[in-house]
Amino acid sequence: MKRIYAIQAWCLDCKRCEVACKTFHSPFENTVKAFKLGESDLHSRVRVEGTKTTSIAINCRHCENPQCVMGCISGAMQKDPVTGVVTSDPERCVGCRTCVSMCPFGAVHVEEVSVKGIAYKCDLCGDVLGEPGTPQCVAACPNRALIYVESEATC
Amino acid sequence: MATYTVDYLIIGNSAAGVNAAQHIRKVDAQGSVLMLSKEPYPAYGTPLISYMIEGKTTEDKVWFKDPEFYTRNNLQTLFGPEYEAVKLRSADHEVDLKNGETVAYGKVLLACGSVPFTPPFKGYNAQENTHNFMTLDDAKEAWADVEAATAAAHAQGRESHVVVIGGGLIGLKAAEALSHHADHIDVYELAPRILPAVLDAQGASVLQKMLEAHGVMCHPGLSADEFFSEGNRITKAHINDGTTVDVDVLMLCVGVRPNSALAVEDGAEQGRGLIVGTDMQTTLPDVYAAGDLVQITDSLDGAQRPLALWPIALEHGQIAGYNMACAPNAPQFEGSFAINAVDFYEASLLTSGLINPAEDSGCEQQIFCEGNQYVKIVTRGDYLVGYILLNRPEQAGIYSSIIRNQVPLSSFQGDIFQVAPENIAFDQQRRWERLHAGYPSQLDQLGWKERA
Repeated sequence: MKRIYAIQAWCLDCKRCEVACKTFHSPFENTVKAFKLGESDLHSRVRVEGTKTTSIAINCRHCENPQCVMGCISGAMQKDPVTGVVTSDPERCVGCRTCVSMCPFGAVHVEEVSVKGIAYKCDLCGDVLGEPGTPQCVAACPNRALIYVESEATC
Repeated sequence: MATYTVDYLIIGNSAAGVNAAQHIRKVDAQGSVLMLSKEPYPAYGTPLISYMIEGKTTEDKVWFKDPEFYTRNNLQTLFGPEYEAVKLRSADHEVDLKNGETVAYGKVLLACGSVPFTPPFKGYNAQENTHNFMTLDDAKEAWADVEAATAAAHAQGRESHVVVIGGGLIGLKAAEALSHHADHIDVYELAPRILPAVLDAQGASVLQKMLEAHGVMCHPGLSADEFFSEGNRITKAHINDGTTVDVDVLMLCVGVRPNSALAVEDGAEQGRGLIVGTDMQTTLPDVYAAGDLVQITDSLDGAQRPLALWPIALEHGQIAGYNMACAPNAPQFEGSFAINAVDFYEASLLTSGLINPAEDSGCEQQIFCEGNQYVKIVTRGDYLVGYILLNRPEQAGIYSSIIRNQVPLSSFQGDIFQVAPENIAFDQQRRWERLHAGYPSQLDQLGWKERA
């Protein structure tokens, strides 16, 4: 499968990847509307760590043997057996955070809401769960600090 | 004469049993596999029962596998109370069922989990309004009973009272779930704090305040010492501080014990759970065990006990399945450690490893407490060996991976405990290796094509 890789040497800490991710996963088509009308619902699935001197954008690795899937009590977290994409199904997730406690990269988060927060993570911008799309973080990166290339690891 | 003759018999239809069946099939497409369960359902996510009562999921979404799973994998199933396995005769390679039928097997897996343990209470016997909280049927019965009892109480112009005996994970998840359907919930826990197995005293007091804000009243250090019945229902409990409380519904969540009687009565060795080899075989030949009824060695402190956790049951099932089917280079079970995740209302509790280390264990601890956040980090020498993260879940899995992979703490840049951990704190080489599994070999670390 194709995976997103972060190139720390080129990361500018500009967080445009986070903006693109939030916009794509919002109900709005453009960033201004997404941020002005939907700010409280915006969650970035990619997270830039570090400071201006050293930074790196962290994304789900879509692991070969995903711990988040192994731990999931609800069947919401699944690895597609064909595409290898790991996704969280909001219909099934109950927000227990087992995936958060299992992911070695801190790439799964649960919405901070009082009623039923659900787990969200990188879905490779697919239109349907399990199908990769065009990762918007990679497209938005101005400095090739995120690349989307065929991985040599098994699905 | 056996009623059924199969190559593989799996007793139990949850995480461990289902995963074993699936992995047997990866190696042996032909051998006959029969799964038995006394519960009349396909496999479901056991921990989901409390979420179902809260309305966070529904019964049609609790199933662990898709509806065609059993037929697609050519697994025979006998699910229902009449198919409870009642006797194992390993010398004959046979199991007797409750309905009088007999199954002859080549290899058998015991994956039947744990069962509730209720100590003798004066005046107690199982009645209409007493429930455990282990199975889907337990949950459905308790839910219906609490709703009916609350309606009946309101019709009499009074409020309803649910009493939960046991303030561990099961008792508190039951209390949270049922609190949406009752007026008063009181939880009695004999230990000096709630969640004695996964929290320390300070963390437990922070969580207890949060639960009480939602009406779940916790009484650590107390339990019932006598119950009083009217007709088919328990109506009052006498508490060991001398008070008496009204009971509309009584939840018994004191503890669990391994559901291992089948094997033990046939001579299998048991410690705090069934003793198995690294191939998950018990001391009885061709009898394997997986999941909550197995005693495992904690890789952090060497303690031997069952670790009743969903991912560990899956791993057990996988290893047992491969070994039962004699897969070449079958994986072996090398021990594990606990990672617990649980949520109550808006509270999130993640704990792992050693959280209450003994004084002489050589462990050190750091505590960060602010408002509803309580973080405890336990280290031993240069290694992380445990954590409690109450209401600070962010990136917790990074800690779990540091424990699992024994990453030396001296290799990190900056403090990784005071605030949520980050990947960037790993040293340059580890950081690259962690984040770049399967990175294309024709690219250099700048993402450029290598020049000849």
